[in-house]
Amino acid sequence: MISSKYAGPAVFARKISKRFGKLQVLKNLDIKIPNATTYCLLGPNGSGKTTFIRAIVGLIGLDGGDLRVLGEPVKGVAGLYSRIGYMTQHKALYPDLTLQENLEFFAGLYGIRGLAARKRIDELLDMVDLKPHRGRLAGDLSGGMYQRLSLACTLIHEPELLLLDEPTVGVDPRLRQTFWDYFNRLTSQGATILITTHLMDEAERCRLVGYMRDGRLEAQGSPDELKSLAGLKPDLQLWMQDESASYSAASLLADHGFSARVEEGAVRVELASESQAAEVLRLVKPLDLRMHEPTLSQAFLKLGEADR
Amino acid sequence: MISWDRVLVVALRVVRQLKRDRRTIGMITLAPVFLMVLFGYALSGEMSGVRLGIVDVGADGEVRDHLTSVKDFEILHLGSESDAEKMISEGRLSGAVVMGKTFMRVLLDASSPQVAGLITSEAGAALQKAGDAKENTREGLLLSPASPGSYMEMKQQILPARPVMEIRYVYGYDLEMMDSVGPAVLGLVVFFFTFLMAAISFLRERTLGTLEKFMVSPLTRLEMIAGYLAGFSLFSLIQSATTLLVVIFVFGVPMRGSVLTAFLVILLLGGAALTLGSLLSNFARSEFQVVQFIPVVILPQTVLSGVWWPVQSIPASVRPISYLLPLTYSSDALRQVMLKGASIGDIIYPDLAFLAGFFIITLAAAIAMLNRKVG
Repeated sequence: MISSKYAGPAVFARKISKRFGKLQVLKNLDIKIPNATTYCLLGPNGSGKTTFIRAIVGLIGLDGGDLRVLGEPVKGVAGLYSRIGYMTQHKALYPDLTLQENLEFFAGLYGIRGLAARKRIDELLDMVDLKPHRGRLAGDLSGGMYQRLSLACTLIHEPELLLLDEPTVGVDPRLRQTFWDYFNRLTSQGATILITTHLMDEAERCRLVGYMRDGRLEAQGSPDELKSLAGLKPDLQLWMQDESASYSAASLLADHGFSARVEEGAVRVELASESQAAEVLRLVKPLDLRMHEPTLSQAFLKLGEADR
Repeated sequence: MISWDRVLVVALRVVRQLKRDRRTIGMITLAPVFLMVLFGYALSGEMSGVRLGIVDVGADGEVRDHLTSVKDFEILHLGSESDAEKMISEGRLSGAVVMGKTFMRVLLDASSPQVAGLITSEAGAALQKAGDAKENTREGLLLSPASPGSYMEMKQQILPARPVMEIRYVYGYDLEMMDSVGPAVLGLVVFFFTFLMAAISFLRERTLGTLEKFMVSPLTRLEMIAGYLAGFSLFSLIQSATTLLVVIFVFGVPMRGSVLTAFLVILLLGGAALTLGSLLSNFARSEFQVVQFIPVVILPQTVLSGVWWPVQSIPASVRPISYLLPLTYSSDALRQVMLKGASIGDIIYPDLAFLAGFFIITLAAAIAMLNRKVG
């Protein structure tokens, strides 16, 4: 099982930069990805997410800055390849081999053979729910199944540091839950997972989220921290008997220092925190109510606006 | 350090993939057989059905008899030279011979040099025969009552001596075209298929994204190429075995040397084709572009490396290129092994040395190119 040999940050980047021709892709990027966590890198296309991941595995050289991977300078990252799992946006499988043969091949590259390989392959096929298909050619699989097999091949050697570029594209929600349960199990065993995604609900599941934009890290924190950083607060929607009751409730709440307004026939009250809901309910008695948590996408929209 | 375990893992995968591709297997094993059979008949040097017109305006019987006895010709007797010309220009005759008492005119269609050459040489042979016959007649007139024992002596005294040609083969026997071409085509076939398969396989590794994945795994570039070498070698051996069987048992080409020596040459040539293929795959974006390498890489070799005709017959201005092509050396080495019975020691320089050098240089370049693509 995974047990990290290194307690410091899994990835540590200080003022790293990379230029492709005239295009400056990474601009003095600073990122620290702690050990044994799930870290999600979010950001628009072309913000430098994939370039950053390729720099971590040594596929591109940096123009400047300091980058350390599992405590080692990135120059020596080749010596760490047996501890790193890398899943590219290409699915990197052989369509003319069966699922079993694909997994056996990647297991072999990492020196996993015989009984150990068989056990590991069984376990992974279970996790990605492909066991009944093990004898099929990978080329005959649907897009989502192909994706799952690719993930299984990346996990074959139980890497300490997992770099997953858009790993859950085309995977149905039920299975995505299975993936996340598995990812959480891996981090609890000491693995670090770095994910890039476009899906906000995916980012919400990560312990830390970094928002990249134009080659820089704009913000980093837990999903909740990012929401409050963007100035987003939860709000409460209250339905009263009729419109006049709504307006009087709103003015009563305003008198007590709440920001409240009537919107689409209901009262909306901004809360500094969820605990304020009890105070609101002492002042007014609605027929029905609903609590709205701010979402990460709202946070990023806000952060994006502030940037402009 | 190279991990042979990982080399084996790659080799096993390559074999598994090829094994599943039935059509490619069929191509690998049957195409050489098909090509050899085709070449064997095309190159047998025998022509037939050459339509030759004869316009006889009082020729010697010997001339006419010789031409009508050549089995390659289909003879048409014509009334006049203008008829013959007309039929040649209409394509109904390949040529015509106008024969008189004191002259012979050969009318030819230049569009097929081989056919024209056959007609010219047979017409020349016919004249020669007629001349010999006349000479004998003259000798007969001079010496008719003489005893046969003194005939040669007297002939040498009276007539100017003609040079006598004697042919002696230093090795082998009177080789047919196929004997010389067979061993060289063996190399050509292995080179062609290995080059093409390697270029496409490495291109696929790149487009599938597996190459990038290897870059982030313990597999080194050398191990990857070595794995391919091992996997493809198995198929090169199967391919050369079937080709050899056809060459030896169907065409009767001798195998005077050791089969193992021939296989060594083939493996070295296959290795060179594989590394060249993997190197050039870097310059192709699609399988279609790989196919475009055939006229650039394969065709010049088939023409310039002495497969069909000797390197010595290639114009001196182009010949230096011949000496840079691996097929030049494999053709020579395979001919030496099969026809002369050469051992490894006999072909080590320059043939094996060049093939090994070519392999090592393209291997180094292919590995460097893999590095560059990433950095």
